[in-house]
Amino acid sequence: MGKLYDRLNQDIRFIEGLNGCMNCGVCTAICPAAEFYHYDPRVICDTVQSKDEKLIEALLRSETIWYCGECMSCKTRCPRNNTPGFIIMALRKLSQELGYFTDSEKGRQQFAIKRTIGENILQSGYCVNPDIVSPQMHPEQGPVWDWISRNTPEIMEKMGSNYKQKGVGGLRTIAPEVLKELNQIFEVTGCKTMFETIEKHSKHKADELGIEISPEGIGNEYFMTVYTENNGTHND
Amino acid sequence: MVLEGKKRVWEDYQKEIADDHYFYVRSCIRQTFFPGSETTFLKIMRDDLGKDVFEDARHTTCTGIGYHTDIVPLETTMTVIARHFALMTEAGYTNIIPSCVTSFGLYTEILDTWKHFPETEAKIREYLWKATKREFKIPENLVHTSDIIYKFRDQIKERSKVSLINKKTGLPLNVVEHIGCHYAKMFPVSGIGGAEFPSVLSGMIESWGGSVIDYPERRHCCGFGFRHYVVMANRGYSVSNSKKKFESMRPYQPDFIVANCPGCSMFLDRWQYTIAELEGITYDNNGMGIPVLTYEEMAGLVMGYSPWKIGLQMHQVSVEPLLDKLGIKYKKDEKYLGARDQNIGEPQKPQFLIV
Amino acid sequence: MANNTQHIIIIGGGPAGLEAASSLGTAGYKVTVFEKEEQTGGKLRLWYKLFPGFRLSGEVKSYLANGFKMNPPEIITNAEVVSVMPENNHHKVILTDGQSFKADVVLIASGFQVFNAEKKEEYGYKIYDNVITSVDLEELLKSGNPIKTLAGKTPEKIAFIHCVGSRDKKVGNIHCSRVCCITGVKQAIEMKHNLPEAEIFNFYMDMRMFGQNYEELYLEAQQKWGITFIRGRVSEIAENIDGTLQLKAEDTLSERPMKMNFDLVVLLVGMVPTSRSEAIGRSAGLAFTSGNFLATLDTHICQNETNTPGIFVTGTCKEPLSIAETLTDARAATVRIMSWLRENELKLNN
Repeated sequence: MGKLYDRLNQDIRFIEGLNGCMNCGVCTAICPAAEFYHYDPRVICDTVQSKDEKLIEALLRSETIWYCGECMSCKTRCPRNNTPGFIIMALRKLSQELGYFTDSEKGRQQFAIKRTIGENILQSGYCVNPDIVSPQMHPEQGPVWDWISRNTPEIMEKMGSNYKQKGVGGLRTIAPEVLKELNQIFEVTGCKTMFETIEKHSKHKADELGIEISPEGIGNEYFMTVYTENNGTHND
Repeated sequence: MVLEGKKRVWEDYQKEIADDHYFYVRSCIRQTFFPGSETTFLKIMRDDLGKDVFEDARHTTCTGIGYHTDIVPLETTMTVIARHFALMTEAGYTNIIPSCVTSFGLYTEILDTWKHFPETEAKIREYLWKATKREFKIPENLVHTSDIIYKFRDQIKERSKVSLINKKTGLPLNVVEHIGCHYAKMFPVSGIGGAEFPSVLSGMIESWGGSVIDYPERRHCCGFGFRHYVVMANRGYSVSNSKKKFESMRPYQPDFIVANCPGCSMFLDRWQYTIAELEGITYDNNGMGIPVLTYEEMAGLVMGYSPWKIGLQMHQVSVEPLLDKLGIKYKKDEKYLGARDQNIGEPQKPQFLIV
Repeated sequence: MANNTQHIIIIGGGPAGLEAASSLGTAGYKVTVFEKEEQTGGKLRLWYKLFPGFRLSGEVKSYLANGFKMNPPEIITNAEVVSVMPENNHHKVILTDGQSFKADVVLIASGFQVFNAEKKEEYGYKIYDNVITSVDLEELLKSGNPIKTLAGKTPEKIAFIHCVGSRDKKVGNIHCSRVCCITGVKQAIEMKHNLPEAEIFNFYMDMRMFGQNYEELYLEAQQKWGITFIRGRVSEIAENIDGTLQLKAEDTLSERPMKMNFDLVVLLVGMVPTSRSEAIGRSAGLAFTSGNFLATLDTHICQNETNTPGIFVTGTCKEPLSIAETLTDARAATVRIMSWLRENELKLNN
């Protein structure tokens, strides 16, 4: 039994997620990612249960583990009560901790997610709010969203929201003392460490590739690269 | 298809839903894209049904999108949710109702994990104490807000002004129901009707006069995929999964789609626009797309609320063809007015999608 | 000749019970068979032809009936046993109507139950019009009626789904039902007999061709009948607007998910323990396997004995078995019962 497998096996999602796979394929059959990407959750299970360190390391450095959409449709069906989606979550966590995620195009995107969703949680108390869904970055949102973005306070008021105000209600300003609590939770539970790890390895990768990266925000070349880059080979 | 067979399945999956006194937790996506839905939910609950729904300004995101994009560790998410349990406990409530399906799935998963790993619960209690000096009790009743509307569907029907019936033909409207994956796929017993034939939305639709379409890709994910929408380079995954659903439902000529998940309802709306603009395809016969409603909006319409007050103007696919079928009167020129009924401009017209 | 006063009660008049009754009767014992149904024959009555040689099940039924020429047992039908209680040196067998009978030996041959396919919700049995079980198909084949979809169309594409209710923790059955693989091969060939133009697919996880001539039949299905075997368990079935069925599985050998449409889908339902066997077992203090079948005293050397002396088990109440295996097992049980009775007799005499 090797080291990587042992580390995976410390993650309760891994313990819950892998109970011995018999390679029946019901997970892959209904997996949205398997249909779109070159991805096979059954093979992931088979690889990790082999406990082969080389194969597991290759997986941690691969594009493959980043294809899953975490819809968890696999959990419903598995006749052995496995959850490939949970196994993926354990693999992704380890890939980030070891810095292997920057080896793959899809893995490098963790930087973009950290700089958007991650920062937004700590700064606003929301994963998503209208301020981070800019029409430029989200052309698929269409002209109605564009109109909403231009008139957010007005429209939110009409909708009965409490946009950027004190008190209860939708899109209210989360009080500074609440954000402080949230930050403390992130500190105590290891999320800050995870964020720093993502930053550290991303910086290293950006420097290695000679792409400009800034200490904060999304106005840097590395962000735009990982946010938009698609080499077009993921579906082969 | 034999409906009796489905009803037998439903009987196996009925869950306890508290009758009153709820601690309400909002959804990031719902507040952002269809904020009128949460307002409508509260209005129905408080004003029409006379229920006590409590909201604490100090609740935050559950970190769900961060968790499912794998930047937020499980322990962090558990502790943030434990903080919500603490707020609930401090307010003297025992019934918690998240508005978001991702949250609901996570809350359910966490309570299940704590059952199997009590040492994890103990660790999270320590983390929460260390970070916030808060303590909590496990909720006695955890349900999604759509479960609540399902529970009170018949009371809503008694007070309703509109039925899901085509006014001109007198026939029930054909409705596609879409259940967010995290509602019951992870824990089938936590969903009304289970994972395969969930009845949380179909129960509402049938109670309010509509007819439910069961199409081959009914169970398929909307394609959110968390990282697959958040990162621009991956959005092909997201749109192609929605597209697969649209193609599958098209032969049934749905009058509208209703979803119980904040993400799904937004994606099923927006991707119809994207597909129309990219490929010149819509999935109705008039080039306008299939209207998508949230279940709160559907309930609001049934209760006779004004379409523009509940926020139907925030949808990219126009809802007017549906309002016409329902016989709901509306003023087209009031659609895009501001909070004080002033002109704030209108959205531009898409190139292909007819609005 | 054995001591005629020794009374053996057999619970269940299926193949196992009848075969044991005939052997024990021939050996001279007083045998009573309690059969809960109106007729004996058990699940054999549901089958039309048997694998691997397509023999009519009726022939085996006649064989079993002909076994009773010498010292025929008393066969009581419509008699359901609810409990078996050890009492002094014998056992008290109690029926649902309250009647009780004394026996020196009880042989439980209470059989299996067909897995209720409705439990695999994702396959939509009794919801989708054209999803049937292997048991339904036997009845259809026996009727001689043409095979049609509910809408009256001759099916052109037919799928057989293996492992329905077997090897599936989700429905609480971890065991392999053993006979479904070969049943799938047999029924696929019978389907081809009836519908030579139809395309037939078997979706399997492992092909467990353990019996005599099973592998040969599998080969014949592929070579002679052109039946396709896809290694992948079916994940879900959905109904299309035209009543055809959309089926999703992974072709695990090519590592690709696939979606196919079929006119008719046959679910190869497995064998599960019966609640009656469970009630009887509990009343008699018997042990159970992890899958809730009746446990034998030893997996290798005491396959018909239980943890209670004088109570024996045979047939599919202890594990899934084919007809051939069931009959062999019943004969084995007979020998063990006779030895046990003889040993007891010798002990008493000494």
